Amino acid sequence: MISDSLVMPILQGIHLSRSFGQGETKTTVLYDVSIELFAGQITLLMGPSGSGKSTLLAVLSGLLRPDSGTVMALGHDLWALSDLERERFRLRHCGFIFQGYNLFNALTARQQLEMVVRWGEGASAREARRRAEEMLDLLGLAKKAHLRPSELSGGEKQRVAIGRALIKEPNLCFADEPTSALDWKAGQQVIELLRSAAHDRGAMVLVVAHDARIIEHVDRVIHMEDGRLWQQEESEPVLHTIKQAR
Amino acid sequence: MTSYSLITLWYERQRYVPGVLAVGFSALLIALQCGLLLGLFSITSIPIDHTQADVWMGAPAVSSVDLGRPIPEGTLARMGALPEIERCEFYLQGFAFWNKPNNGGSELCMVIGSNLSPDSLGKIDKLTPEQCGLLAEEGTVIIDKSDEKKLGVELEKKAEISGYPVRVVSTTRGLPSLAGPYVLCSIATARKCLPVQKDQTTTYVLGRCRNPQDAPKVVKQLNQYKDVLAFTKEEFSLRTRLHWLLRTKAGIALGYAAALGLLVGAVVTSQTLYAATVASLREYAVLRALGIPRWRIAGMVVSESFWIGIIGIALALPATYGLAWAVESCIRVAIVSLPWWLLSSAAAVTLVMALVSGLFALRSLRQIEPAMLLR
Repeated sequence: MISDSLVMPILQGIHLSRSFGQGETKTTVLYDVSIELFAGQITLLMGPSGSGKSTLLAVLSGLLRPDSGTVMALGHDLWALSDLERERFRLRHCGFIFQGYNLFNALTARQQLEMVVRWGEGASAREARRRAEEMLDLLGLAKKAHLRPSELSGGEKQRVAIGRALIKEPNLCFADEPTSALDWKAGQQVIELLRSAAHDRGAMVLVVAHDARIIEHVDRVIHMEDGRLWQQEESEPVLHTIKQAR
Repeated sequence: MTSYSLITLWYERQRYVPGVLAVGFSALLIALQCGLLLGLFSITSIPIDHTQADVWMGAPAVSSVDLGRPIPEGTLARMGALPEIERCEFYLQGFAFWNKPNNGGSELCMVIGSNLSPDSLGKIDKLTPEQCGLLAEEGTVIIDKSDEKKLGVELEKKAEISGYPVRVVSTTRGLPSLAGPYVLCSIATARKCLPVQKDQTTTYVLGRCRNPQDAPKVVKQLNQYKDVLAFTKEEFSLRTRLHWLLRTKAGIALGYAAALGLLVGAVVTSQTLYAATVASLREYAVLRALGIPRWRIAGMVVSESFWIGIIGIALALPATYGLAWAVESCIRVAIVSLPWWLLSSAAAVTLVMALVSGLFALRSLRQIEPAMLLR
């Protein structure tokens, strides 16, 4: 589903640069990168290892301050906000999925999700439980809600991690190599869930990956190499909508 | 927060066992040491704990039962005039020099002179009616069997107290002493043995209430007079023990040992929590990326330290009683005193230590950096 919300970018990186180290060891990872990302669209950021794609994701999501450039997210200049304001922005609007599942060993699938709602929004235990169960149902994990990470498969763990990211109903969803530790069948399920978050919930979803099999499941592919964006491909419906809007 | 802490503690219990044991060890050490010292110093309050008075009235600022000074005998009338008082009587106690026979040297002893009638308030309960009868004769004393050697006498042997000749007519058992052996006698004999105790003075006036519950009320009324100081039996007993605890500097030794126990507990608990937090750093980093405030995560660590404290204390309590019982079974003397306030204090101090350990472990949270998940 492509909506009119594609007209205006929900997230925009403008002339972003970032380097690590100092002096002779200084390495520039992002060179004057500009990017526009839209609500309701799932975008794949591809590139070889060390191309700077994870750094770009970190900068765009408010986790890593750029050396120069601006990130406009939902009308806010993200890096002009104070640390606390940016933290609140992430709490309200951002969901993250990482390569490692990073689930608490001691907690069940349901508790992993409840924790985010209770601690993030101060929801009651009952409300958190209701929403966690709803989300797990959506993820096809209703019968595994009581299981701990050690009792779940890799794909199931990643689906719990996706649930943890989506239970807040974020506008911006960032996924870093979400399928790299999974077999293709589980990987497909994960990508479909992220696609659904974009198309059904209207979220902007940015996926960083190097698995070419994902390409056919996303709306847009951006290639990155040596800290620069060098090729953007849009799926046909997306191109049509953007052209019409312009 | 608490539920997640408890779930984590239980699921990863092997990780937290050292912390729980360290807290338990600290609580055990503090409670048992204090209990031992209190028990040891309970010897000093034997004259109070093994007599029948509900109220003790002595000189102002008296800090321990063995440090009483003479007060006028006339003060007895004040106590006797109170309607709550059933009976009151004189009681003499003080340090004196015991001169061993045949110039065998001298020894400090604690002379106790009391009424010897069957319903006496000041008579040590270890004295039998026969022994009381023997003491009725002036110049006769009774000592504990364990002090015979120290005092250089045996049964029917003569010695002198402050130059006054006395004769040992019997011995008791189970009357241990700390500063000087107890020497039990009549009031008349005690007055001769204690030179500071002039005529028409007494060291204490003891009272029995018609209803023992009225003792605090009686004490309050008597303390309106500035030339005396009155206590309930329990108050005076505790005051005497605490005085000895502080005067002998045993409190300092106790403080050092307890501080050492606390330090060991704090370091182990802190490190346990630190290691546990570091092990979950990536999980916490995800929460931080999602915008969960840092204080929520800190709250979980402190909550874990609280529960480690509670569980450690819960384990320490029966262990303390068990060890106290074992010690007393070995030496066949009850010397470990574990009143509720002592156990509560030990538990409170240990719990604070566990919470402080949790606060120290929070330094690990500085390492949480959400961007690290993307490298």
